[in-house]
Amino acid sequence: MTDTGPWSGTLDEGGLPRELPRTVEQFSFTGTAREYFGIWIVNVLLTIVTIGVYSAWAKVRRMRYFYGNTFLAGSSFDYHARPVRILIGRIVVLIILGLYNLIANIYPPAAAILFVLFAFVLPFFVMRGLRFKARVTSFRNVRFDFHGGYWGAFKAYVVGSAITWMSLGVLAPIASRWMWTYLFNNTTYGGRPVTSDPALRALYGQWLLPAAMVLGVVVLFGLSLFAVYPALTALFEDARSGTGDADSMLGLLLTILSIALLPIVILFIFAGLIYAAGARNVAYNATLIDGRHRLMSSIGRWRFVWINVSNLVATVATLGLARPWAAVRLAKFLAASTALEVEGSLDGYISRIEEAGPAVAAEYLDVEGFDFGF
Amino acid sequence: MASDRIEGAWYPPGASQRNAAHLRAGPGGELVVETGGAEVARAANADIELSDRIAAAPRRLSFPDGSLFETADNDGVDLLTGAQASASGFIARLEQFRPRLFVFAAIAIALSYAVYRFAVPVLVEVAVAVTPPAVPGVIGRSALASLDQAVLAPSELPAAKQAAIRSQFEALAAYSQLGAQAYSLNFRKGGSIGPNAFALPDGSLVLTDELVQLAADDEAVLGVLGHEIAHVEGKHTLRQIYRAAGVAGLIMLIGGDIGAAGEDVLVQGSALAAMSYSRKQETASDRRSVELMLAAGQDPLAIVGFFEKLNERYGDMGLPSMLSTHPETLRRIDDVRAYAAELKAKAGQAAPN
Repeated sequence: MTDTGPWSGTLDEGGLPRELPRTVEQFSFTGTAREYFGIWIVNVLLTIVTIGVYSAWAKVRRMRYFYGNTFLAGSSFDYHARPVRILIGRIVVLIILGLYNLIANIYPPAAAILFVLFAFVLPFFVMRGLRFKARVTSFRNVRFDFHGGYWGAFKAYVVGSAITWMSLGVLAPIASRWMWTYLFNNTTYGGRPVTSDPALRALYGQWLLPAAMVLGVVVLFGLSLFAVYPALTALFEDARSGTGDADSMLGLLLTILSIALLPIVILFIFAGLIYAAGARNVAYNATLIDGRHRLMSSIGRWRFVWINVSNLVATVATLGLARPWAAVRLAKFLAASTALEVEGSLDGYISRIEEAGPAVAAEYLDVEGFDFGF
Repeated sequence: MASDRIEGAWYPPGASQRNAAHLRAGPGGELVVETGGAEVARAANADIELSDRIAAAPRRLSFPDGSLFETADNDGVDLLTGAQASASGFIARLEQFRPRLFVFAAIAIALSYAVYRFAVPVLVEVAVAVTPPAVPGVIGRSALASLDQAVLAPSELPAAKQAAIRSQFEALAAYSQLGAQAYSLNFRKGGSIGPNAFALPDGSLVLTDELVQLAADDEAVLGVLGHEIAHVEGKHTLRQIYRAAGVAGLIMLIGGDIGAAGEDVLVQGSALAAMSYSRKQETASDRRSVELMLAAGQDPLAIVGFFEKLNERYGDMGLPSMLSTHPETLRRIDDVRAYAAELKAKAGQAAPN
């Protein structure tokens, strides 16, 4: 069932002195929409019937299905989290979020303080969440681990998002670089380090197209607003002085403007997806495992946009029933776009199993929709 | 059957070195892994940790010494270890692609809808019932304090005007379920929020100078205050908070299985639903204003006078009603008129006796 044959082959890079052969091993995802539909619908149904308790078991089955069907060099990944741990983590997260919302509703000024507090707690959750995720992941009987610290996460996620927002996206590649280096450089496999050094120049290369798209649309929208501005102010005047038709005209115009915003929002989402795909390619291609196996990513950016958008449309149009198909489709695409250039073999690793610890942080990231593309 | 060999791969304790191997049952029922004819691992069935069956994903048997046997032969492993009888074996069989899955899907959709439609409202009522009275007090006080700081200014209405409105208001509030002492009327200059009146959950009502000026007469102001009294009576703020929390919890519950984008769609959808809920509360409060005014011997249609002024001044801003927390003004006028007529007809029927 593994399908590495057509993809593997020996790369010949003459000139570089080395002894071990280099082989390109393609990732592949062997799951099918048919199989996953069953797992998914049973997960959803039992989660509802058990008022959410089964969701922890559901998560483990879902993760084990996706990890277990992701193959590299003839072996698949595995996910080892214990459902009870996940359940406890989810309950704690629900209580925290519930309290936060309660306080924010009862005493709104406290929400501002909590928000600042949250900016300082988030890095802790990121660091512990990533550690949990790494420690429950194995490949060929050997576990991953994560050693990232608090301030690294603070820089990558808090400072990174702050500068991205404040610069209106101009500094996004710097934030991406911080994020990917934090993610990769703190990960180990069998005690051996992963190293990543995505070049800022290359990240900006990927940023150019989506930035141009956003800029173009903003300018276009601004110009059209500018063109209708005199008419708009005249209408406002009429409406104020109570001229009969002005109200409905104004209403119509405002409706048109708000409808025009919809394609703009969609275009922003496109730009975000294009950038995310490009940044992943750059980061993966700059990553070495154990100083010798090179990660390779070759996501087609437009294809990535198409798959995400059509997945969402299909899922919404089928009241969610197409979700398993969509998830499998994306996993197949991502696996097919990812490879590892192996130097020698993947045989010589020895696992160091560390206690994974509580799942609270990992569940928090999950509930809040943080996604780390492994 | 126990003599069957299961083909797979074996990894030495804690190591990534992959060895082609097979698994078979030993004479005493224990499981044995052999690679290249040599035995490399052996343990009793009960000491081996077997991963749950999940579709066709490879199965893993972790031996006590830290070595691992991995195989794609799920059926073979189930036969050898008797795992199909376990709880996870039952789940794995449920998950197989059979027509019954579509029945499951129908049940899941029906249940989600039922939870949203029936369970959430019941939970909201329970939460409202068990909320200690101190909570609305804190919400009201802190909201008024932050509004005073950010938008509102002290009222510039003449003291005589304020006193006149206040005494009429107290007479009206006496007819509410909670009695006049449950409310406190606050006059403020609205500034950027303009002609406005709102109710806080602790019974504080805020009335802006701009509204008093816009309204044709004090009776229209009173009609608006009747509407705000209804918000307090109905605990509308608390209900909105709990409802939002309940729906958010529901979305989080199934969040992991619908994907981040799907979750976003649900969150946006729930925001639209919350607006529809708010519009229902507004309509209910309009009607309650009619009842209160009638009970107090005032013009039940007084609030219509205010709506007409509002409409004259601002018109409908053209937002589709789906995207608004309040119903369209003209529709509110029609609804209030119809409701007043309905009440009048009822009173007419009752009167001859």
